[in-house]
Amino acid sequence: MAGRQFIGKPARRVDAADKVTGRTRYVADYQLPGMLYARCLRSEWPHAVMTHLDVSPALNVPGVAAVITSADFVDDGRFGFPVRDQYILAHERVRHVGEAIAAVAAETPEAAAAGLHAIRCELEPLPAVFESAQALAPDAPQIGPDRSDGRHPNFLHSEIVRLGDPDRALPQCPVVLDAAYSVAQQEHAYLETEGALAIPTPEGGVVVYASNQSPFINREILASVLGLPADRVRVIQAPVGGSFGGKDDLNYQASAQCAALALKSGRPVRMTFPREESMIASYKRDAMHMRVRLGALPNGDLQVCKFTGRLDSGAYASQSVFTSWRAAVHAMGAYRYEHCHVDIDCVYTNNGYAGAFRGFGNTEVCFAIEQAIDEMADALGQDPLAFRLRNCLRLGDETAFGQRLEESVGLAECLEAVRKASGWDEKRAAYARQPAGPIRRGLGVAAVFHGTSLGAEGADYAASTISVAEDYSIALTSGLTDYGTGAATVFTLIAAEELGTRPERIRLLRPDTNTSLESGPTVASRSTMLGGNAARLAAQNLRQMLDFAAASLLNCPQNRLLRVGEAYIGPSEEPATWERIVDHARSLGLILSAHGRWSAPHIHWDSQAGRGSAYIAYHFGAHVAEVTVDMRTGKTDVTGFWAAHDVGATIFPQGAMGQVYGGVAQGLGYALMEEARYEAGYLQATNFDTYLIPTAKDVPDITCILLEKPYSQGPFGAKNVAEPAMVPAAPAICNAIAHATGRRVRDLPANLERVLLGHALSHSDGGLACKIGLARPR
Amino acid sequence: MLIQFTLNGRPVSVEAPAHLTLLTVLRDYFHLTGAKEGCSIGECGTCAVLVDGELVNSCLMLAPKVAARTVLTIEGVSPADGSLSDLQEAFIAYGAVQCGFCTPGMVLAGEALLAQTLTPTREQIRTALAGNLCRCTGYQQIVDAIAAAGAQRKEVN
Repeated sequence: MAGRQFIGKPARRVDAADKVTGRTRYVADYQLPGMLYARCLRSEWPHAVMTHLDVSPALNVPGVAAVITSADFVDDGRFGFPVRDQYILAHERVRHVGEAIAAVAAETPEAAAAGLHAIRCELEPLPAVFESAQALAPDAPQIGPDRSDGRHPNFLHSEIVRLGDPDRALPQCPVVLDAAYSVAQQEHAYLETEGALAIPTPEGGVVVYASNQSPFINREILASVLGLPADRVRVIQAPVGGSFGGKDDLNYQASAQCAALALKSGRPVRMTFPREESMIASYKRDAMHMRVRLGALPNGDLQVCKFTGRLDSGAYASQSVFTSWRAAVHAMGAYRYEHCHVDIDCVYTNNGYAGAFRGFGNTEVCFAIEQAIDEMADALGQDPLAFRLRNCLRLGDETAFGQRLEESVGLAECLEAVRKASGWDEKRAAYARQPAGPIRRGLGVAAVFHGTSLGAEGADYAASTISVAEDYSIALTSGLTDYGTGAATVFTLIAAEELGTRPERIRLLRPDTNTSLESGPTVASRSTMLGGNAARLAAQNLRQMLDFAAASLLNCPQNRLLRVGEAYIGPSEEPATWERIVDHARSLGLILSAHGRWSAPHIHWDSQAGRGSAYIAYHFGAHVAEVTVDMRTGKTDVTGFWAAHDVGATIFPQGAMGQVYGGVAQGLGYALMEEARYEAGYLQATNFDTYLIPTAKDVPDITCILLEKPYSQGPFGAKNVAEPAMVPAAPAICNAIAHATGRRVRDLPANLERVLLGHALSHSDGGLACKIGLARPR
Repeated sequence: MLIQFTLNGRPVSVEAPAHLTLLTVLRDYFHLTGAKEGCSIGECGTCAVLVDGELVNSCLMLAPKVAARTVLTIEGVSPADGSLSDLQEAFIAYGAVQCGFCTPGMVLAGEALLAQTLTPTREQIRTALAGNLCRCTGYQQIVDAIAAAGAQRKEVN
């Protein structure tokens, strides 16, 4: 970008030096004098009523300092938004295996474990439901809360999109596709497990360090369940070792458990999760069953899409209400239709619960629609990439839900970019002619559109503070968390660009509910746009004071000021250093402190009509995957990958590319190997020996192309990248498998048996237990 | 029992129960928290350290096994003046760091490989990293960083 010093230029990640030296301290690395170790008793049943709970024997165990249950919280510790159906510790009933029942704090981890063992807890098993298709049966046992509208209590939510009349139009289409797809639960597999450290304060409050995504939400829950005023509860963001949507609910529960134990014992309390406990207790990406019907004209014009999906929210609602909305809005893909209906329903079961995970519904529906688009292209005898180009959303088009796309639409360019970079035309032709043999090669494409930030889901704003310190450094805050994404570097570069100072002068303080400003949740790939705009406005406000001081010092109007590096130059051409300007500003009585708050433009979604403006802007992208399939074993190797993304503008190039590489790798795992499978409610893979995620050997070198169709409201034109980088990877790989083998895998993951045999093999029934002692009582 | 070994270039001795893992001793007795507990079963590599130059999962090695041997952790990788090593610099320059939880193990895996060869192929680098999981980066910039540091060392030598 012309005239820009830092935006879009190679930069040093602000927290990288501490990370490459091992100096970064995560929650598990915190150690305080007198600190106690906490651990939870967890349910061994998927659905049960608590007939007896007596924690007092635990207090007789040497080393145990405090024990808590739901009775130690206000309103039994109930929380959750928008559905308040969860508890900090289970109250009267448990609804999934691994649900926390009681928590113990003790001098050592061993004493805590002994304390758990001493608790007398009797659970009487209840009938349970594990298949989402059976959740709404009239005789299905109730899992969800009572409803006043007469609907089945296991019904959680539904979302729709409505355009035209697909039921009338579909039978009239000359070419029709009708196919069913499914995706399994996926584990986030952040390498740092959950954790929190709570420290009681002399005022009767508590300070909590947590590996969470959204410290302000944590504070709100803590204040509510502890019955404390918000100013007695302070949440300080600890460094987060990966999140991907996964460091919400369970970390808030752990924070509240630690806080209650700290208040009860008067001592610091830390809880960190062993891997097995993390996997069993944590929420997952939802499993979804989907059916897609498409209709097209023989020339290749798409006419109709009818999409239905059933989302398994598991035992609790968590984010599924919002997930199902994002799923509905994106279910038809980035294409033009004359008629389109989407219906996404979500239900409760006694599986582990589903929550936020990168892509948030779009990852699930994109797997279905992008394979269906390929199958339709096949039925029409058209090249799948050309078919997408023919039908994809372009500038000025209206989406199926009725939103006119007025700027920043780069999908066709992304498709052209991956077509060229991957050698699409030549390779598709060559692989179509490949001789029969055990090793088959294939090339597949998938496209994505992904709404930026929260959209019509909720109030969308962020805020930053900025101030010049005594040592002339600049302290910048954001209410949004960098859990590895690079957002802290993005905020720093934006502030440096606006102020004309070196990024090294800026210190980004960690989010802290006492010192940073509430900015909504750190979710939905919203940090760059929302947090970036807030940092930009804060820096602009500070810059005004510095420019005023410089004009005063250099005795000239502000429009005569020039900058050389950090120095200001006036008409006399004598440079005044940053320090001199700051000193002069202070002598004028200016307080060099400012803040900035940015709210997204208001948009409206009509949930009854299934129409409206869903998001302020959309990210567009396209992936091409190249695979080799061994037809003797079903083994699929991804041998090449090309990813083009319209990010609006790039702020921190290494960070943006890292999001793309990492997103592709997570999509590759989702496509080929990852499955958090529940058998009768018991998670079957509880550590990295059985839950496999891609290693360096599984991921090929990826070609990343960042396209820039600036969005007028984004900071320097930037939109988002983190989630959409993952979304189309799995369907691109499965489309490549279909190209290679002539067979389509419609259920994830595309593991050996699904690729080789076309279906999953049944697994033994020996698995009605999870590790960490959660054996099913017999 | 008394365990004596060389830790990050300095002779050390520690009195610790014989059943403790090297990871526990490093973290709880020496307060070196750069090695992480990610899985406790030797699958993720966040606990990786070098023992006599060889990359090992310290969560699987009993501490007495390092008696009379040399152990290098991430805390011993940087030059004594507090600056960063060329490989650490390369990790930053190539954007190989995101959440940072795998990074200490990745840097040590890179050092173990570069001790064998300064001109590894990308395939060799990927093989050398196969025991270290990363969920954020997709590995590509880590591979870039190790290749670049190797090339730079080759040039200097």
